[in-house]
Amino acid sequence: MTHDTDVLVIGAGPAGAVAAWEAKRAAPELDVMLLERDARVGTPVRCAEGVGNAGLREFADPDGARWAARKITRVVFVAPDDTEVKVAERDVGWILDRTQFDAFLAERAVALGAELLVSTEAAGMTCEPDGRWRVRLRGAGGEATCRARVVIGTDGVEAMVGRWAGLETRVPARDMESCAQYVVEGIDFDPDAIYLQFGAGIAPGGYAWLFPKSPGVANVGLGLVALKADARNARQYLDAWIARRYPRGAKRTCTVGGVIAHTTIRQTYTDGVLVAGDAAHMINPLSGGGIVNAMKAGRLAGRVATGAIRDGDTSAQRLSAYHAEWMAQLGDDHLKYYRLKRALEDLDDQFFNSLARTANTIPPEKRTLGRIFAHALVRHPQLIPVAARFFI
Amino acid sequence: MLDAPHDGGYRSRMRAAPAFPEIAVVDLQVCDRCGLCLPLCPPEAIHLELTDLVVDRSTCTGCRKCIAPCPVGALTMVSA
Repeated sequence: MTHDTDVLVIGAGPAGAVAAWEAKRAAPELDVMLLERDARVGTPVRCAEGVGNAGLREFADPDGARWAARKITRVVFVAPDDTEVKVAERDVGWILDRTQFDAFLAERAVALGAELLVSTEAAGMTCEPDGRWRVRLRGAGGEATCRARVVIGTDGVEAMVGRWAGLETRVPARDMESCAQYVVEGIDFDPDAIYLQFGAGIAPGGYAWLFPKSPGVANVGLGLVALKADARNARQYLDAWIARRYPRGAKRTCTVGGVIAHTTIRQTYTDGVLVAGDAAHMINPLSGGGIVNAMKAGRLAGRVATGAIRDGDTSAQRLSAYHAEWMAQLGDDHLKYYRLKRALEDLDDQFFNSLARTANTIPPEKRTLGRIFAHALVRHPQLIPVAARFFI
Repeated sequence: MLDAPHDGGYRSRMRAAPAFPEIAVVDLQVCDRCGLCLPLCPPEAIHLELTDLVVDRSTCTGCRKCIAPCPVGALTMVSA
């Protein structure tokens, strides 16, 4: 059986759901199909679920929403020697319930008329002579094919759509962070704060985190660069960190995954294809955050794809507007963050321990990231070349 | 004279066969299907299907780039 659609979105995470929603919003007359490999949108959760306040509000109102697990008003940086630095920032962000949040975004696309197919994966695709893509679908009911004018690949770190379309989606191992996370219950922490700890022995090349879901319950995880690690894998590093920091915590579901701490792939489009979100490496390489990035890219992809279909021109040249607009919105910033990440890699635990002590000399109510940075530049001149690499 | 492509497409033909050829295999009991190894594989030999993660024996070059990053240690090398 062959279905025909105008826009086929592969992967119903935040990028895909927003792409489908925006496509239907911008062009209600076009057919939009949204594929999800898993039986339910939003499962399994492979995410620390933290998101910035301002970015989230461009897409949804978190106040009182069932998908917003916790409002975060404080950030606590923890140095390798366990010195805590409480940073005073207002309106930091939210911890989401991704199962509910992803379902909310997908339902919103469906409410506008997008067709959602769950338990259905794309198994491959080929370009037809008329410029459409023929995508092989595989699901519980067997195989089918779908012909689409534009395919939007929002299939996450696996990025099979980009690969099938001939885009370069490979990642050097130095820029892949291996992550592991448990939901931990019965531990003591400030439920309005997120905690981030750095250290070569804790999470080499990355950081360990605690993101509260409710008092006493948190996502506790870490990401590391395997090339810098000893023989242990990410889950073993995490087990050791939890045993030391939260020995009484009860570990529930473990999830693992990869975060690409690189920059946007060189080309995010080709004839009849756009890729967005993790699939296009649209992740802040410093923080590893990708949810808002994915939603912004999805919105752009939905808009550009429908505009191209309306004009009857889905060529790579027409779709390249998506790439240019993404780079102007966020992609160029990620290049800067990536340079900063590489510069920070040269600093050792001793530096971060002493930076934490410097930061704690600032009065708590004035201890913003900006002030810490200004203080740090004065007291730690080795930071000046690092800062220079960010701004140049 | 031949122009070598920028992606080094001729390189694999020039390289000598390893003395003890090995390929990566996935322990499906341990694998969490997270997909992290896919973009790490230079010859794109790893595929994630609905239920299984598969290494293509004929494409895997035994480079080991996927082994250490696996967060649960599900990938190991075996003799080809």
